[in-house]
Amino acid sequence: MKKIDEPRLRDIVGERNIKTDPSDLYIYGSDSSVHHAMPWAVVKPETILQVQRIMKYANEELIPVIARGGGSGMCGQTVPVQGGIILDMKGMNKILEINLEDVYCRVEPGVIDDDLNLALKQYGVFYPPTPASSRIATIGGEIANNASGVRSVKYGATRDAVLGMKVVLPDGELVSLGAHTRVEASGYQLHKLMVGSEGTLGVVVEAILSFVPIPEFRCMGVANFDSLNDAGHAIGSIMASGAIPSMLELVDSVAIKAVNKTMDLGLKEVAAALIFEADGMVKEAVDYEINKMKKICEKHNGQDIHASYDPKEREKIFMGRKKLFPALSKYDDNLASTALADDMAVPYSKMAEMAGKIHEIARENNIVMTAYGHCGSGCMHTKILMDTKRKDQWDSAKKAITQVYEYVRSVNGTTSAEHGIGLSKAESFKIEKADSLGLLTSIKKALDPNNILNPGKLMQAPENWITATNLRYSVNS
Amino acid sequence: MENITKKFKHLEKWQGTLASCIRCGYCYEHCPMFKHTGWESDAPRAKIITAFGLLSGQVEASESAADKLFSCFYCKRCEAACSSGVPLTQIFTDAKKDLVEMGLKGPGTTSITTLNCARCLICVGACPHEARFYDGNAIATDPAKCQACGICLEVCPARAAKIENNFGTGRDELIEKASAFLNTHKASKAIIFACNWSYYPGLMASVLPESETKEKNYEILVNMCGGRLDPQLLMAPFLHNAWGIMAAVCPDGECQHEGNLKAKKIIKTLCNTLKSIDINPERVRLVQIPAGDKTLFQAEIDTFVDRLNKLGPIR
Repeated sequence: MKKIDEPRLRDIVGERNIKTDPSDLYIYGSDSSVHHAMPWAVVKPETILQVQRIMKYANEELIPVIARGGGSGMCGQTVPVQGGIILDMKGMNKILEINLEDVYCRVEPGVIDDDLNLALKQYGVFYPPTPASSRIATIGGEIANNASGVRSVKYGATRDAVLGMKVVLPDGELVSLGAHTRVEASGYQLHKLMVGSEGTLGVVVEAILSFVPIPEFRCMGVANFDSLNDAGHAIGSIMASGAIPSMLELVDSVAIKAVNKTMDLGLKEVAAALIFEADGMVKEAVDYEINKMKKICEKHNGQDIHASYDPKEREKIFMGRKKLFPALSKYDDNLASTALADDMAVPYSKMAEMAGKIHEIARENNIVMTAYGHCGSGCMHTKILMDTKRKDQWDSAKKAITQVYEYVRSVNGTTSAEHGIGLSKAESFKIEKADSLGLLTSIKKALDPNNILNPGKLMQAPENWITATNLRYSVNS
Repeated sequence: MENITKKFKHLEKWQGTLASCIRCGYCYEHCPMFKHTGWESDAPRAKIITAFGLLSGQVEASESAADKLFSCFYCKRCEAACSSGVPLTQIFTDAKKDLVEMGLKGPGTTSITTLNCARCLICVGACPHEARFYDGNAIATDPAKCQACGICLEVCPARAAKIENNFGTGRDELIEKASAFLNTHKASKAIIFACNWSYYPGLMASVLPESETKEKNYEILVNMCGGRLDPQLLMAPFLHNAWGIMAAVCPDGECQHEGNLKAKKIIKTLCNTLKSIDINPERVRLVQIPAGDKTLFQAEIDTFVDRLNKLGPIR
């Protein structure tokens, strides 16, 4: 461990914006992933200048810097595997401008997604990428991971909503990337490169985001299926039919059971359920989309199909989905829900096969896995439920994950749809991107020659994360 | 590691539960401490991580680690919201028991007694959690039992009961926040004091542009429990030209500290005082809000502000 020049950091951010006590550092060593590592200091900058000065210092002294938002990442992006300084960006939390005339807003990176949407709501507009963790996720974190969520099937992911940004480079230089306009063809789209770069290329200190009108009508429907296969085929058919759902979600039996157990929503415990939604400014148009999806579900043996415009009914269905991730921990008292191999994407036609494959792999390895996700955008989530004390369960999980990713790659899918790579998914990422890894490394080197920004992630992450990183659980040997 | 676990004989039983916290962080939005400091290390998730660290030997049982577990107002909002079903405050309490046995006692948010205590024992009788007692020499607090509700502070005639770390919810801090709002907002009319259960605001950790907030005519301040309202706090906004004040507490039978009953008495007395100095008592209002009923809370605020608009400023 390198010696941190505490007085210098205190001088930059002020006495109240630094933590160096081991008990604080321990807390900032983990996020929502399975990993843990100790940082050397946590600082909470409040201005761009402070970020620049911190970067300049870190670059001179070759100290790793890890920008952190809400700490809700699931793959270990903010876990400081090589130590260093955590930049807690929640100190830069101002919504700087809501420009209704030019249809963009300008925010600091620590602004919480839900807070932004609350501020936008009064003008009848919303910022659509919104992941399930929007109550805690910061805009900066969402940009770093190219976050997306249930409505991304219609409105796109974070990358689609980011028009421009200000970024502090590793040497402390401040650059403005992108534009304030809807379209831009002025050279390399570097702001788009920053989206999804997991804090390895620069520190985003301001973002220009587009927003869209809140639709007048939203109608949400549910269909139950006796087989995952039928549900999967329904997804493929809906997307191939030209329908434009604003949400198309799959939940399997394990997920349904978990939600029922936690929230008593009285969901029918079937093999799979599809939640679909259409929205728009004209009711007839929404009816048209919903009826189209209902009919397709019927054709694929969907049951109990119903849809509702009633906000309370919609909220009930949506809450079940939104709280699914934490609810999975209640599936079985002896099993904990772990974020591993949790967000791959496959082509629509492979959705059904993929869901079946996940359950097959789980059975084979004697663990419990769920299949759910934003299937309209091709994203399938899984969570592995296991007894985290047992080493053999970790070994089985590792094996299962490798098999899942082998399948994903074999059908032209991709390792991560929206949570990013971080540490946990490096193995499959490196195989998937084998022919461009050299290029990715060159880009990293060009922007961060001293490798101080979030080192040890993406291309640099270890293949075998079980042995190469410290797990945040107590595992019996 | 086994030796360490044995040292934590109360915390030990939660080993499995600590692993089932998925560390989603959804508890942040419910925690007044996190909202006040903005540090993740003050959030409920941080206390669970610390408890895990203590039990696994990765965190030393130091004063600063212990202080995290002794800092909690026991509003239990995090617990009610945790869909992984982690009984957070029970875990904090058990960790506190072990830490006390190791000689680590906070203070965190535990109430203490200062030297000007007259030993009248009023606080001992008033404490809803049987945490305060006479030890033969002075009034003491059992740090494992104290839930930092603050009732002792309000009943103490000598002001000898104190919570040192109030995380923005202490009387003086609230008075300061109220006056700052009233003095900087031209349209300001009311201060709304709300317990952490009546007010369900979401995380709200972001700062809005000034153009969005300059027309605000009321400010909501969280005072943790209705039992902590006192005349000095409630009167303070009037000194800064407030048109009225409203207090929101839990409905009858729903407050964990019976602070709502105490609030009723205080507000009644305050109304009588106002009447005696020719100020319309309608400028003070107490409302009961079931947990999470944002719609009712907003409706009550709107009605109150309407009423103040009819009454106009105090002349």
